[in-house]
Amino acid sequence: MTDLSFTEEQRDCLQELINVAMGLASDKLARFLNTFVHLQVPAIGLVNAAEIPEQFRGQYQGLHSSMISLGFFGDGGLRGETILLYQLENAGKIAALLGYDDDATSEAEMLTDISSILTTTFLNGLAEQLDNSFSYAAPRVISSRDNDFISKLEQTAFHWQLALKVDIRYELTDYSFDCNMILLIPGEAVLKLKTILDNVLADF
Amino acid sequence: MNIDWLSGPLLQQLNSGVILLNKQLQIIYINPYICRRADIQLETVQGKDIFSVFTDAPQAWLSRKLNSVLSLQSPAFSSWEQRQYLFKLPHLRPVSSANQYMAQNCNMLPLTDPATGEQYVCLLIEDATDAYVYQSQLQQSNLQLQQVNRLDGLTGVLNRNYWQQQLEVEVQRAGRYQHPLSLLFFDLDKFKRLNDDYGHQAGDVVLIEVARLIGSLLRETDLFGRYGGEEFAIILPDTPLEGAIEVAKRICRRVAESPVVFQQQRLMTSVSVGVSQFNTAITADELIQQADLALYQAKRNGRNQVVTYHPGLIDSLKKVKS
Repeated sequence: MTDLSFTEEQRDCLQELINVAMGLASDKLARFLNTFVHLQVPAIGLVNAAEIPEQFRGQYQGLHSSMISLGFFGDGGLRGETILLYQLENAGKIAALLGYDDDATSEAEMLTDISSILTTTFLNGLAEQLDNSFSYAAPRVISSRDNDFISKLEQTAFHWQLALKVDIRYELTDYSFDCNMILLIPGEAVLKLKTILDNVLADF
Repeated sequence: MNIDWLSGPLLQQLNSGVILLNKQLQIIYINPYICRRADIQLETVQGKDIFSVFTDAPQAWLSRKLNSVLSLQSPAFSSWEQRQYLFKLPHLRPVSSANQYMAQNCNMLPLTDPATGEQYVCLLIEDATDAYVYQSQLQQSNLQLQQVNRLDGLTGVLNRNYWQQQLEVEVQRAGRYQHPLSLLFFDLDKFKRLNDDYGHQAGDVVLIEVARLIGSLLRETDLFGRYGGEEFAIILPDTPLEGAIEVAKRICRRVAESPVVFQQQRLMTSVSVGVSQFNTAITADELIQQADLALYQAKRNGRNQVVTYHPGLIDSLKKVKS
């Protein structure tokens, strides 16, 4: 079986590229959302996708959470899915954050809107760092105000072997808002990613 | 091979809508798919503000989204599941779909003219009416199935299973908000004899008619269910004992004075009713037991009457058993 795990060099390189992408995203988001955005340096870890539901069970136990998924395709066989998790307490702040002043926007729509903004802004930055470009599928609401979102996450995580887990915390001056983002990358795409990282490393 | 010629005919014949806007959200291009459905000419709308052409579009929300595409240079999306349509366009299933407008999925993409560096936003619109129609039909049948699943097939009142679930809900609610809650249990008197004398069809007709009559005496919020054979139960939310006794007496009186007509015969019937009231010290099961006990006592007292539960009933029942 092919080894999907990263070398220390590859991991450091990816961490650095993600940090840069985060910085780009944080700058763009701050200008778009008209508020100072502080993006904490994310914790990055490669984990077995099957372990993720259990990790989140501990972290989100008993909380009503909403889960939004967004898939992406890049060149060179790179593809994956991002999952954003929101705690319900934050959902009400999103309308103000997005500048929606009409009542016609549903909570599900606000969640998909903010998710596509957060995800694509970060992924575009990452694609740029990897000398790639991504195309995106429309975001889907996997679970909304759901206590049992873990079992839905289990069904989703089942399709993926290895997951790159990125925990992002967004801190906004005028709003207290945070969410978790998980980036899931399937096995063969992880191999492509390793090749891409090796190329980046070779250029240094 | 040069395929520069491709994009022209493709845009002409594409089975999706394409709308190109500049940074001021003015129309640069609309493909025939949209022009034909919206009954507009490209020449007459070119350069106009998108919202002056599509006046029904959700302006505040959509312009915010389009601006996010331009300023973040990231795509945005709109799905029919969250917002059925952006633009009021007709669809090609006017007969089979009750919905007037095309359900739409929309991709909003940032584009840059390589020659000038000018930035644009492009809306790609797909017809999702079929998915919308299927989903509506599915929801409709799910709703029907759910209803059938909750009702008693013969009388149309709630079935025992659903009625008991509702009792749990109401008991919790009454406990939480300190609201009164009462329960009626009733039974058709001498129903077995009616079945023996006139046949089961007559028995069914009596059950249906009595349930209909009692249903007409209740409020919208009362929960009326069939507990078993000829036994029924009613949850009276927000009702103290006195109110419940009044309802029970009215039911008793009206059933006794309303004969059921079956094959030109007037069948006289009556009910015995047991009443109990919820308090925070008892469970839903105990509430049922108390109403049932009162009903039992009403039968013993000679039927066609209302008995209210009181703790003494337990002793009198013990005496009967010994």
